[in-house]
Amino acid sequence: MASNQDSNSKNSNSNGNNPEKDFKWDPLRFISKKPDEVLKKVDDRLDELEKEYFSGKKDKEENLPNILELYGVSRRDFLKWSAFLTSALMLPYIFEPRVARAANILTRTPFIWLDMADCMGNTEGFLRTAHPTPAEIILNYVSVNYMESIMAPAGYQAEARKTETVKKYKGKYILVVEGAIPTGMDGKFLTIGAKGDTGLKITRETAKHAGIIIAVGNCAAYGGIPAANPNPTSAVGLSSVTNRSVINIPACPANPVNLVGTLVEYILIGKAPQLDSLGRPLWAYSGRLHDNCYRRGHFEAGEYVREWGDDGAKKQYCLYMMGCKGPFTWNNCTTAEYNQDISFPMRAGHGCIGCSQPAFWDRMTPFEKPNADAKIIIPGIEATADEFGVGLFAAAGAGIAAHAIYTGVKKKKEHKKSKNEKNDNSGKNDDNKKE
Amino acid sequence: MQNKNSKYGEIQLVHRMTVIKRIIHWSFFAAIINNIITGFYIAYPFLIFGKTPTQADSLSTGVLNSGETYQAFIMTWMREFHFIGAVIIDVIFFVWLYLAFFSWKEPLYKSFIPFGDKLEEAWRMLKHYFTLKDRPKTGRYQDPLNAIIFTLFHLLILLQMLTGFQMYVASFTGTSAVGAWWPWLLHFSTDWTLVVFGGLTGVTLVHLFIMWLIIIFIAYHVYIEVWRSVMWKEGDILIPFGGYKYMRNKSESESES
Repeated sequence: MASNQDSNSKNSNSNGNNPEKDFKWDPLRFISKKPDEVLKKVDDRLDELEKEYFSGKKDKEENLPNILELYGVSRRDFLKWSAFLTSALMLPYIFEPRVARAANILTRTPFIWLDMADCMGNTEGFLRTAHPTPAEIILNYVSVNYMESIMAPAGYQAEARKTETVKKYKGKYILVVEGAIPTGMDGKFLTIGAKGDTGLKITRETAKHAGIIIAVGNCAAYGGIPAANPNPTSAVGLSSVTNRSVINIPACPANPVNLVGTLVEYILIGKAPQLDSLGRPLWAYSGRLHDNCYRRGHFEAGEYVREWGDDGAKKQYCLYMMGCKGPFTWNNCTTAEYNQDISFPMRAGHGCIGCSQPAFWDRMTPFEKPNADAKIIIPGIEATADEFGVGLFAAAGAGIAAHAIYTGVKKKKEHKKSKNEKNDNSGKNDDNKKE
Repeated sequence: MQNKNSKYGEIQLVHRMTVIKRIIHWSFFAAIINNIITGFYIAYPFLIFGKTPTQADSLSTGVLNSGETYQAFIMTWMREFHFIGAVIIDVIFFVWLYLAFFSWKEPLYKSFIPFGDKLEEAWRMLKHYFTLKDRPKTGRYQDPLNAIIFTLFHLLILLQMLTGFQMYVASFTGTSAVGAWWPWLLHFSTDWTLVVFGGLTGVTLVHLFIMWLIIIFIAYHVYIEVWRSVMWKEGDILIPFGGYKYMRNKSESESES
């Protein structure tokens, strides 16, 4: 199963516990035609995983409360959160206890987090939270077998830990990759660890036997900033270097809810959730920011912020004229929200920069000007579409004027000439053949 | 009269555009002008409704005040009219495509075929524009140069439709009021633009840029028809109004000799 080479098949992510390949799973519309069967499958899977990862009933029941207590999150808060996650995943209410169980199991699932070429903003986003929500707490307490930024072992020991995990949990461990993978010079732009292996080699080897592969952050998903033009290191996203199917959780940084939600869904069903054409889970990335924005009404009303801090800004008018890229971006920022679920760019008064779309550093810039002010990409021309268009129009107008004048002058001349010729009475035949 | 006839040849009335084609021509014109104006607004919202005091202190930052947010909705109207214009343009494009092949009166493809001859005639017309000599005969049919330029123009319209539909389908979430086939069809026919033009932002810029090419075409089209009317004295400019133009047996250059 793990060596399934078919990158298109979502089922290739199955970790082997759930061999049903035709398992129908479509939470966006309806789960399945046979809901009881699906519930039973999910329950069986959860039972099996609980048996595998917990030593007994006590261990299973006390694991999550212990963790949450450390952060002062009450059981009630956790249940609220799991209800929120259930609805975010577009699952019916009956899945709420199962989502809670899956969150519990998630803390024990073997987990490898690889850091490639990026700023580690996603790690920071998940780890450094003042008032973490269960999403961040669970991410902190997943049984991380390898994660450079928080693991105790170093050097050869760390490497050994990784190889051991890959061997021991073949086809079961979760692989999360953060950061773009440079492929130039055989990947030598990025070497990691005591052996100095290239990032390219490490990701390929680790991805080979992973149960599920997640590219978190725009860099890992699409290359992000390292891959921005002119991309000197030929950095690419994870899906370009492995032929396994990759779940992309883009954004800069990715929302912890999206990562945990995807992992919980993986625990529940043993395969990747439904993905869109850019490899993103549909439950999180099917909505366009512009359509779900709380400032959309002001967009429709023609009420725009014209400069930072003007009256419109104070009244929370639409940021379209300040370069908000919400109309070009698919994510759930407006509903799931960032920073412990309290805010997102538009709420903070700045437009979206489109960080969950491919090549956003090239395509969404300038960030604080409307898209119509972006330079168009025609070699040798640096102008906006309008500047170039006006230029062409002016050239065409000049051409038309020149032609009109030319015609007038020539006509006059010919007229004179023909008059003269007539006066001379020496006209000659036009030898042009006409049909 | 006799003098003029001997100078310019016999005048003959030629029917060039049927009523249907004239209706198409002018609704096309109205829809395109409408879409240029509303499209400009969508790209740059130049009017601010429901303005605030600091936003209304000059003409360039907002002139109209319709009061509260719920009373304005100017962008909604602009987008609505842009879509209505787009629907008209789409329908006209397909009718044009049909008529280009199956028109009873004068299918456009006949101005292309046989290809070599017509191309040569187009070249002669182009030379005529700059030398004012050797005018190829145009009378009962569309001259090949115009046919080529109109076809290119319709290709621009097609590109505009495809990029426009890509932006339109962006707000769909997999299904629609008329069924899932509709967004599927739009995705199927327009998703390639995302790859070619570099994402939705690129598609938007292409849409904006092609508008300028269309404006240039309009300028060219009006100019050249006026030019023809003035130079040939055959009333070419009257075609889209009355459907008729005149034709002379002799062209002016012939008569001048």
